[in-house]
Amino acid sequence: MSAAGNGAEPTSSPAAAGTPVKAGRHREASLYRALHGAGAPLGAGEGRTLAQLREAALRAYERLELPVWRRSGFWSTSLQGVELDALETSVSEQGVPAVVARTLPERARAGRIVQSAGAVVHVELEEALAQRGVILCSLEQAFAEHGELVSAWFSRRLPIDRHKLEAANAAFWTGGAFLHVPEGVAVEDPFEIVYAIDGAGVAQYGRTLVVGAPGSDFRVHEYDVAEDFEDGQSLHAGAFECYLQDGARCRLAQFQDWGKGDVFDVSTRFVGVGRDAYCHWLPALLGGHLVRQHLELAVMEPGGDMAFRGLFFTEEREHLDVFAVDLHETGPSGGDVHWRGAATGESRASFEGLIQIDPGSQQTHTYLQIHSMMLSPKARIDAIPSVLVSADDVSASHGGTVGELDETAIFYMQSRGLDRATAVRVIVEGFFEPLVSELGDEPLEELVRARVAAKLAAAREDIEAYATSR
Amino acid sequence: MADLEIRDLHVRTDEREILRGVDLEISRGEIHALMGPNGSGKSTLANTLLGHPSYEITEGSITFKGEDITEAEPHERAKAGLFLAFQYPVSIPGVSVANFLRMAINAKREEPIQVKEFRTQLQHAIELLDVDRAFTSRHLNDGFSGGEKKRAEILQMAMLKPDVAILDETDSGLDIDALRTVAEGVQRLHDEQGLGALIITHYQRILHYVKPQFVHILMDGRMVLEGGVELVERLEREGYDQIRQEHGGQELVA
Repeated sequence: MSAAGNGAEPTSSPAAAGTPVKAGRHREASLYRALHGAGAPLGAGEGRTLAQLREAALRAYERLELPVWRRSGFWSTSLQGVELDALETSVSEQGVPAVVARTLPERARAGRIVQSAGAVVHVELEEALAQRGVILCSLEQAFAEHGELVSAWFSRRLPIDRHKLEAANAAFWTGGAFLHVPEGVAVEDPFEIVYAIDGAGVAQYGRTLVVGAPGSDFRVHEYDVAEDFEDGQSLHAGAFECYLQDGARCRLAQFQDWGKGDVFDVSTRFVGVGRDAYCHWLPALLGGHLVRQHLELAVMEPGGDMAFRGLFFTEEREHLDVFAVDLHETGPSGGDVHWRGAATGESRASFEGLIQIDPGSQQTHTYLQIHSMMLSPKARIDAIPSVLVSADDVSASHGGTVGELDETAIFYMQSRGLDRATAVRVIVEGFFEPLVSELGDEPLEELVRARVAAKLAAAREDIEAYATSR
Repeated sequence: MADLEIRDLHVRTDEREILRGVDLEISRGEIHALMGPNGSGKSTLANTLLGHPSYEITEGSITFKGEDITEAEPHERAKAGLFLAFQYPVSIPGVSVANFLRMAINAKREEPIQVKEFRTQLQHAIELLDVDRAFTSRHLNDGFSGGEKKRAEILQMAMLKPDVAILDETDSGLDIDALRTVAEGVQRLHDEQGLGALIITHYQRILHYVKPQFVHILMDGRMVLEGGVELVERLEREGYDQIRQEHGGQELVA
């Protein structure tokens, strides 16, 4: 466990990507710490109207460059290849893209909202839930009809100016999703929030706000999907925030597969856990040309508890960059971060996990583990854990493994009659299974398993070649 | 012609010749014991028979049911009816014993096994091996005790019904009760299914429960002595050193 304040040298601005790289400077944790300080909320929303926020964000957008994040090993996550001028937020409304019906499981659900490009194209909500006060609608509509409720939470903890695309989201978002589950309402079936991109040339500024009132209990499944396309680019610059009030419980899952087109996804997500509330959060990042996710799961009030899970699987030339923060702003609190990732082809993934325990967050107990598996000689995964602790009566540690395919296990399964490709599939599926089964939702589990299997099948030759080369 | 015929097998690994001309024949319904001191090449033989990629056959051949399998992939050998119970079974996290068995059984079949038939077979195997039903829903070998791993090996063997099984020191690390269960399981598979077995062991005790018809003693990569069950008793009395002196096995250079 590293000591408090590790790498917390003061820096001016996180957007100062052009400044000389100092040791450890590539670490997102350093930037985060420098900006966030200890316990200072970053939210831009408080005390400002939506119009004021958009105006401030627009100024930041005009001032900032497209972001570059330097990473260890002399590589970087650069969005400078995004041709913003070629992208459109408005589309001719063509209803729900076919990819939605093709991808999402047919199953019982509490409601569904679908945004295609810049517009919400479908909203449904169980009538019984609507009668109990559940709100599921576009965020635009929510501002119009539930202004006070929405304004109280909107952008409470999301900044608008850390980089150009974050600013773009805050300035230009349209459509959006708003979910409010009232006090004491428990819903078994998931609310589905879908962001779909139906081709090249789209800039989608997705904006989601979820509020779980005290004692509510519900599930949210977000799907990020796109039609396959060959030429051109599309962009999803998303902002997601979820606030769980006293005693609320939420299981939050995300299925992301942007398909074969050049989809860039730069998203910021914040989940705040209130007093005695609980969140189980599991993003499954399973496809995208270049994906950058800034994820924060924060215990904001005493007694909050969280399980922060995640899995990713990159292939071909995909590029994934995840920064995940397990933030404890007060104690007692609990955390448990567990991520697993695999990579094939020439893909690369960087996962940086940060445990931050702010001053006064006594009796916080948390653990971060990241396991990765490289399935081809040119694939690469960097896993970087950090621990920043500013309280003394806590436990915080991290662990992890970096693995390749275990030839002994493959031989073992072959000796039982499974061919090599099947044996590899069993190993990789088994590698992800502890997390997949935690989804606790059969249709979604099957979807994730199928996607993993499809990625493995596509990489079969690559994996064979890797094995025989060793 | 025997089901499994090993002719003049020479095997090397890590630039070292481990087997230096081994001949062996095993048929269905026969129980063979292969004994020998540490480092004599017993496990090398076991792994080579199933086609472990780390072992290179430099001379000789392996024939199974009339087919030359010297170069065959491990899963092809398994599908042909060979089985290896591992000395150190590998854990397969995320896959339950039952699911793994179903996959392995289906790999040998054209049509997937019917749920009911699978259950019946599994129930039979569970009783044979004296394991808990819950055992089959645990992840294969993941967190298993030594005894549980060995039982899981024999459970797989019972379900996969090989013609010839190689048991690589299945007795090591087992307490006496587990040893008896495992050994009796092997004996019953022999009696009921006509299993042929090559029981590789360092010790004599498993052979108190499974009676071999043929005993082979391997030293320094060669069979130095072959005979009936009386060899086991002789080994018990005299030890390997005596046999080594008489039969010219050379000390391996460590």
